[in-house]
Amino acid sequence: MPFFKTIRWIVWKDLVCELRSRETISSMLFFALIVILVFSFSFSMDQDAARQLIAGIIWVSFTFTGIIGLGKSFSSELQNDCLEALQISPIPKGAVYLGKVLANFLFMLSVEILLFPLFILFFNLDVVEELGILLLVFLLATLGLSAVGTLFSALTVQIRAREVMLPVLLLPLAVPVMIAAVEATRGTLNGDPYAFYSQWIQLLVVFDIIFTVVSFWLFELILDS
Amino acid sequence: MINRFIRYIQRYKGWFGGGAALCLLIGLYTGLLASPPDYYQGEVVRIMYVHVPLAHTSLLAYSVLFGGSIWYLWKRDPLVDNMCQAAATITAMFTGLALVTGSIWAKPTWNTWWTWDPRLVSFAVLLLILAGYMMLRRLVDDPDREGKYAAVLAIVGGVDLPIIKFSVEWWRTLHQPMSFSTRGVSISDDLLVPLLFMSAGCWLLFAYMLMIRTQMLYLTELLQAKKGRLLSQTHFSQSAQ
Repeated sequence: MPFFKTIRWIVWKDLVCELRSRETISSMLFFALIVILVFSFSFSMDQDAARQLIAGIIWVSFTFTGIIGLGKSFSSELQNDCLEALQISPIPKGAVYLGKVLANFLFMLSVEILLFPLFILFFNLDVVEELGILLLVFLLATLGLSAVGTLFSALTVQIRAREVMLPVLLLPLAVPVMIAAVEATRGTLNGDPYAFYSQWIQLLVVFDIIFTVVSFWLFELILDS
Repeated sequence: MINRFIRYIQRYKGWFGGGAALCLLIGLYTGLLASPPDYYQGEVVRIMYVHVPLAHTSLLAYSVLFGGSIWYLWKRDPLVDNMCQAAATITAMFTGLALVTGSIWAKPTWNTWWTWDPRLVSFAVLLLILAGYMMLRRLVDDPDREGKYAAVLAIVGGVDLPIIKFSVEWWRTLHQPMSFSTRGVSISDDLLVPLLFMSAGCWLLFAYMLMIRTQMLYLTELLQAKKGRLLSQTHFSQSAQ
């Protein structure tokens, strides 16, 4: 099967599964809601404190929520030996990777877009002017998380203690994404000029490119029977 | 090729161990007793002779792990896989020691045990990656997959480390500038001699430990294989009766 057609089919398959079962996105949403509530209990914030902390809170909840989605991405393939079917089917494995990255990216981004209004509501944010840049930061950081996360989701699904190992392996590697996303988000929410935090957006772009390429190359070894 | 090199160099590992002991002794003597105390930091500076070589060596050791992992994915040589596994454990040891000595040095100079300084954070993240690597190794049942997955993690981590370092560096910086640099050496000879001896000693020590541990892992696997064969033979002969 041609490369791009495979990508399209993998994305389509994941989206249809999700639309019919509504498992991943609903569990991600509920988990994220609980995380936000826990954060609002644990820091009693006025508006100034909220400005300082909110970028970190946003990205901690997005990352943890993302890990739930990433873990489901391949553990759902274990049912009916779908993983083996992916392994032995005569399709380019890199296309499977890119398809899964895209599907995970879409899931995570839709959850983020659904959640962000809640952040605005709960923490009294004022974001109307910078919405475009904020969306760009969300896109880039989510793509980076999805690029590394999909590789390690495929890896950890084939070992013991997979639910624990995915965050243990993924979070240290995602440190640059976290820092860059938090700093860029904080700059945007503070209303700083773009030049103050443009380096973080560049870092996100570099991270996305490098890790999509590296993981694309390594994925073949992981999805190999 | 690498396989033969590893087997060949194993014969001379005693030289590496002896060289490490000699260099470390000279380095410790010149560093702790012969060299003058620092103008600003006083006697406290002497921990530098331990801390800086440990930090260097852990980066060197990770490079060995990184290179070995690429080689393993390319050639699938089980001996190289053993070497990677050995290198990971030893890298974790050097990284942990570098963090501990750095923390002890930070207390009198920066007046804090821990601060969110770029190199500290990078080393802490490196230690976390190595801990994940060692956990991963124990959680895969099939030995072929174990080597493959571990190599993938080591490669992704190796690509990530410079990015982590840059990102944390932009994030905040407090560390003194590096003592060695390509633009020339910024410290005097009295301090440089023990530092060089200690660095050489740590590198040789790393090589020595790597050889011993690689051999140990290799022999363990050999023993397991022989045991498995023996057990299956007895089982076979019993069921034949």
